[in-house]
Amino acid sequence: MTVAARGAVVSNPALLTVEGLTMRFGGLTALDDVGFNVERGTIFSVIGPNGSGKSTAFNCISGVYRPTAGTVRFEGKRISGMAPHRIARLGIARTFQNIELFRSESTIDNLMLGRHQHMKTGLWRGVAMVNGLTSAAREERANRAHVHEIIELMDLGAVRDRPVGELPYGTQKRVELGRAIAMEPKLLLVDEPSAGMNAEERAEVATGLRRLQRELGLTILLIEHHLGLAIDLADRALALNFGRAIALGTPQEVRKHPDVIRAYLGDGPR
Amino acid sequence: MLSQVLASGLSAGSIYALMALALVITYKTTEVPNFAQGEMAMVSAFVAYVLLTDYQTGFLVAFTAALVFAFFLGIGFEGLILRRAKNPTHLSLIIVTLGFMLGLFGLAGWKWGADQRQFPFPFSVNRVVSVGGVSVSVLSVATIAIALVLMLAVFAFFRYTRLGVAMQATQQDPVAARINGVPTRMIVGLTFGISSVMGTVAALLTAPLITLDPTLMWDPLLKGFAAAVLGGLNTPVGAVLGGYLLGIIENLFGAYVSVEFKSVVAFLIIVVVLWFRPSGLFGRHHSRKV
Amino acid sequence: MLAVLPLVVPGYRVFTLSYMAVFVIVGLGMNLLVGHTGQVSLGHAGFLAIGAYTTVLAMTGWDLPFIVALLLAGAVAALFGFLLGLPALRLQGPYLAIATLGFGLAVTQIIGHSAAFGGHMGLVVPSARIGSLSLSGDVSRYYLIVGIALLLGLASRNLTVTRVGRAFRAIRDSEIAAATMGVDVAYYKTLSFAVSAAYAGVAGGLLALMTGFISPGVFTFTLSLIFLAMVVIGGLGSIAGTVLGSMLMGYLALEMDAFQQLPVLGGLLETFTERFMSPGGLPNFGWVVTGFLIGAAILVEPRGLYGLWLRLEGLFRRRAEG
Repeated sequence: MTVAARGAVVSNPALLTVEGLTMRFGGLTALDDVGFNVERGTIFSVIGPNGSGKSTAFNCISGVYRPTAGTVRFEGKRISGMAPHRIARLGIARTFQNIELFRSESTIDNLMLGRHQHMKTGLWRGVAMVNGLTSAAREERANRAHVHEIIELMDLGAVRDRPVGELPYGTQKRVELGRAIAMEPKLLLVDEPSAGMNAEERAEVATGLRRLQRELGLTILLIEHHLGLAIDLADRALALNFGRAIALGTPQEVRKHPDVIRAYLGDGPR
Repeated sequence: MLSQVLASGLSAGSIYALMALALVITYKTTEVPNFAQGEMAMVSAFVAYVLLTDYQTGFLVAFTAALVFAFFLGIGFEGLILRRAKNPTHLSLIIVTLGFMLGLFGLAGWKWGADQRQFPFPFSVNRVVSVGGVSVSVLSVATIAIALVLMLAVFAFFRYTRLGVAMQATQQDPVAARINGVPTRMIVGLTFGISSVMGTVAALLTAPLITLDPTLMWDPLLKGFAAAVLGGLNTPVGAVLGGYLLGIIENLFGAYVSVEFKSVVAFLIIVVVLWFRPSGLFGRHHSRKV
Repeated sequence: MLAVLPLVVPGYRVFTLSYMAVFVIVGLGMNLLVGHTGQVSLGHAGFLAIGAYTTVLAMTGWDLPFIVALLLAGAVAALFGFLLGLPALRLQGPYLAIATLGFGLAVTQIIGHSAAFGGHMGLVVPSARIGSLSLSGDVSRYYLIVGIALLLGLASRNLTVTRVGRAFRAIRDSEIAAATMGVDVAYYKTLSFAVSAAYAGVAGGLLALMTGFISPGVFTFTLSLIFLAMVVIGGLGSIAGTVLGSMLMGYLALEMDAFQQLPVLGGLLETFTERFMSPGGLPNFGWVVTGFLIGAAILVEPRGLYGLWLRLEGLFRRRAEG
């Protein structure tokens, strides 16, 4: 109900804890003292107009940026400032607002990249691969099987071997999501899943995400510009504006908060 | 003796600075370092040579013709070749410039052979003049002066003329520039033309010193490159400073430590500097937004 | 078929084939670095030099047998590759290009000015043997070199279809995404430099074996350019393309009068040269062709020779079906 400027550390530790997160680029303050918790098994939405710092927060959490101040904790362990690949190995996966797929690779190879941290084949075993016989080959087969399940789940069978750069936008978003899931993450960061979509597609995204959360037991942290979708999906929400937290609570509470309404609609009639 | 070394350092540095600046202005508009720059300049210098020796034209005519040729060669390269790249990643565009460089080198070798030729110059290369107690060659003085004037002119052009300002706008934000009515495609072509002209001036100043052959611009190109990287590929002033710095350090090292390793020192310095400042001494690192 | 070639081909051509195979080995390494990991190197001749000199010095200085010296060459080159890869971690495109360029030049300059390495005069390569088999004939060398090339080709192919290869390509396509997928970008980038250097190092040792004499003048910047050109022309990322491109460039590098030998074109070129160009300048035509091919590869067919091959294949298939 109230605006929590600092995330409160609860006695039942949440999966992700963000406290006092601040990010400055030279003179620009993209995030200012932001805090919130994400409980295991829930969907948490971060909303706010363009430029409010949502993606910056994601980048801080996933290790792309090193926060200027504040801490991010995952399962109680401090991850702020860690290198992104180590954060990934702890169980955090993400998608990107502008889609960062491996464009010249096929769908299945993109997904196989998601399996990278679960595989062990290095230089020497990779070089010595003999189809069907060596440990490298066995590992490939096992992980391909896993990836095939995801392809089924995300309905990507038709485009399995096509280079993802050729695929339509909506399909690319599904591939990116599939790639993140292939990592078997505990926490999934989804950045603007419905960007560029119409109402029908958006509804599909919503059901898709809900289903994923249920079937895979994921915790989802969602950035969503579209207010309706964010509110529908979320168990809890945080509203940002100009890098500051302006509302934190249940979706209904956040939606009705005067500061939020003002941020989205402006200051009234001009 | 020190002043002697500094003088030759400044002279060499002028060439490097010219090449570095030429490189930076095209890099800023396309984010592609133009490796073909040296060979384009070399070919233009050959044009001047041919006019001077085969057609007996005067220096003014020959040099002007070479510069005009260079200008259109630059525009042509950008418009007809570089712009046509099907998959314009930075790596592939760099490779296109490398290909053009090899092609030009081959053409020059084919047409003019590998013989080293004496490049005629308005005054004898060996004439020496006393400047403040230091005896410097006339060529050095000319090099330092001409390079300086040219670079200042280019800076002034960018700052004070409408076209120059438009070019700066294109460099900083091509999309915004286009929206504002700046003919960005033409601008990029012009940038290559100007860059080519600058390179050719460097070539014409270098040719009398070392003989003219197709490998004329290899060293100046590499050093100019190194200087631009040293100073920072996206700062024209930094690149120029890098050029002078490189020339001086190189000559100091050559005079007082070892002549043999003179050239290597330049590159080793670059590697060391880049280790600590990956965008050059004065450059700014810009990262992509995700 | 490769096994039979030396028997049917005239003597001096066997040397040419071995030379092409050496280029293929370098190309395989370059392909991993440039085609798969998306890095750039303008100094790979430096690794070739390191490999060649290590091999010779190990044989003359420590009396090591050739094969051991060759393995050592690969390892030493890999070490230098790793060292070069370290600054590469921080450097973007053109900066990396310059750093590698500087490396290549520095290697040859240092070798050239060190008496220990024979300076500008170079070193003679001692005769080599494997066990009781002498390696002094073109044919025996051919079998060794091509055999090694095949092995390394297989290794390269295996690498590209497994986890490491995927990590390489992920870095090429999106470093950020790769990192957030758990790929240790720093490790794989330096690994790609080390592996490509190792390939070049082994190739250097084999080159030394073939030519019997090494000097700094061999390992030039233009050679590094050729190495880059051949993977581009062949088709970045494609092993088949790399092999084709490397063979082509290896042939052109060795056979100066390749173009004059062509049936119709050769004569035309000679006449043209006599009338308009400088006598004796024709060998430079190879550079013109190389430059043109590079341009064509980027502008017309980004998949290079391999792409052309695919197109031809598609054409034949359509003809057969239709």
